[in-house]
Amino acid sequence: MSAKPAIKVEKLVKRFGKTTVLEGIDLAVERGQVTCLIGPSGSGKSTLLRCIALLEEANEGFIEINGEPLGFASGPNGERVRLPSSETQKVRAHIGMVFQQFNLWPHMTALGNVTEALVTVRRMLRKDAEQRAMTQLSNVGLSDRAGHYPSELSGGQQQRVAIARALALDPDIMLFDEPTSSLDPELTGEVLAVMRDLAESGMTMLVVTHEIGFAASVGSKIVFLDQGKLIVEGKPEEVFGKPRHERIDQFLDTYLDRGAATLL
Amino acid sequence: MSWKLFWLLVEAARLTILLSVISVSIGFLLSSLVCAAVMSTHRSARIAGKLFVSFFRGTPLLVQLLLIYYLLPQIGLNVPSEVAAIVGMSLCTAAYQAEILRGGFSSVPRGLIEAANMCGFSKFAIFRRIRLPIAVQLTIPALISEAIMMLKSSSLVSVVGVVELSRMAQDLAASTYRPLELFAAAGLIYLIINLVVAGFGLQLEKRMQWGRT
Amino acid sequence: MTFDLDLIVLYLPDIVRALGVTILLWLAGSALGLLVGFLIAVARRYGPRWLDWALLAPVELIRGTPFLVQIFLLYYGGPFIGLSLDSITAGLLGLTIYGAAYYSELWRSGFVAIPKGHVEAAQCVGLNRTQTLRRIILPEMTMLLLPSMVNMTILMLKETAILSIISVPELTLAVSALGTKYYAFVEGFAILALVYWALVEACSALGRYAESRLSKYRFAVS
Repeated sequence: MSAKPAIKVEKLVKRFGKTTVLEGIDLAVERGQVTCLIGPSGSGKSTLLRCIALLEEANEGFIEINGEPLGFASGPNGERVRLPSSETQKVRAHIGMVFQQFNLWPHMTALGNVTEALVTVRRMLRKDAEQRAMTQLSNVGLSDRAGHYPSELSGGQQQRVAIARALALDPDIMLFDEPTSSLDPELTGEVLAVMRDLAESGMTMLVVTHEIGFAASVGSKIVFLDQGKLIVEGKPEEVFGKPRHERIDQFLDTYLDRGAATLL
Repeated sequence: MSWKLFWLLVEAARLTILLSVISVSIGFLLSSLVCAAVMSTHRSARIAGKLFVSFFRGTPLLVQLLLIYYLLPQIGLNVPSEVAAIVGMSLCTAAYQAEILRGGFSSVPRGLIEAANMCGFSKFAIFRRIRLPIAVQLTIPALISEAIMMLKSSSLVSVVGVVELSRMAQDLAASTYRPLELFAAAGLIYLIINLVVAGFGLQLEKRMQWGRT
Repeated sequence: MTFDLDLIVLYLPDIVRALGVTILLWLAGSALGLLVGFLIAVARRYGPRWLDWALLAPVELIRGTPFLVQIFLLYYGGPFIGLSLDSITAGLLGLTIYGAAYYSELWRSGFVAIPKGHVEAAQCVGLNRTQTLRRIILPEMTMLLLPSMVNMTILMLKETAILSIISVPELTLAVSALGTKYYAFVEGFAILALVYWALVEACSALGRYAESRLSKYRFAVS
């Protein structure tokens, strides 16, 4: 295992028009760790994740995945040099992404969703792709739902299919963008359980979440963002334990009903 | 093309506008009846309404106009061709507008009606105060595009001898041998009228909006 | 005076041939219109800004003027700019242009209606632009746009009747000719209306069937 971090973010700045959403973020995600990004809404945590997934292009700064530059490399004088997209796609293949809205393709079954990229992008034979997809689906406990369309699945099941879809491509980093935020409370558990298993298997994970309880128990590191700045980072017991940063205190106050009560 | 010719087209466009306004208005009144029939609890009324909508939406307006133009005298109604044109256009647009209205009423969220029920509104009050205003607001854009559609379709009444904009253009094109300019000019006039109607529709839509939905 | 059965039998071959012309023009015009409309929509959405603006004008011109006037301009005005077309070619070209303008707006509304996240998900698993368009956007749009596409295609069928005015030998013209010959307009146009009605109902029934087949792909609640 190399000493390079799985994800390294350096002085990342992202602006939408005149608003600066990320004001120079530095962050390192170590291999095999679960890093949880928390913070109030509008703090920029989702934008940071989307920059790492290259769904948004940052305005300044650099991102490295396993030591390789993503999207832009640093030139001799520190200027940003755009990398060819083939290069970028190669680096991006290390990353799997799970969305808040699941984003399953409605015209494909659960199996079809998981198989699609294996066949279209990885050029696998359909038979092999389906076999691999079935393994992934059974890992998330949905082998009996393989033939169902997204509209026939509950939110929790859809999100588990989305996780299987990302995992089927064998990424070594998984990004989660508020994976349980659009789920009913009773469906949240099944998704968190899958994520917990994944964490135990040693997957490198970066999770934007409002589930403070999950962050505290599964997270190896907590990163607290507020108004585009990284305020605090550290082990859960450091971030949540007393004495606490005043902003974290305020933040946790609003989350008493989300499992944060036990931390206070 | 001389201004005189262009002015003849503009004069003829007045008839186009008049025919369209009258037909769309009569069509709107008819369409409320048809819509009421389609949504009624009486089976026979529902079937009659649906057949009406299906027939007039399912056949070309041109054929409807020809049929009505020749049918009216046979049943003893010797009316000017303008009247036949208005009858045909009104029936056709009534079918389309009825379908639009039905769509509007069925898109009013059930919960709003249930809430009114729980507040003790009578059925009529619910219709007048809740369903109607919401349905109208939902259907304004579609009704405006239907009006624009009818304005364009009014060109078809030229085949039953009404000298409106497109017929005037045909006649002038035949007598001056300048079809290119005349039909282009006629198209331009249609376009301008439609833009005005569309602009009016946008204003109306803005007026009818209660905050953002 | 009246249309007796013998007359129908006598002229059945004529009518059937004219019906064939109507259906052929309808299907060809719709297919070409769909295709050209799709190209216009893609160009306007994915092409450079100036192309979007350049295509806006013709699309709005077509949508803002009567089909009849467009056909007249093409058929009678065409020869003055060196475009002498026989009536069938002019009719098909006119239908195609007319359909392309409307279909392009439908396609565009489809592009807008697809949730951004579905495309992002495709990007994240590594599908490139063409693959995303072919495997995700197009199939999703098909089911999204099916009802409005069917409606537009029905409109195209009804517009073919207008081609009779520039004497395209289609159904309406054939029936009008018979009507003139035997002074049996009412009967003729009544039967004509029934034929169109049947075609339209068949087409929308087909559309409803396709829709019901696709209904399980409806958007999942998210």
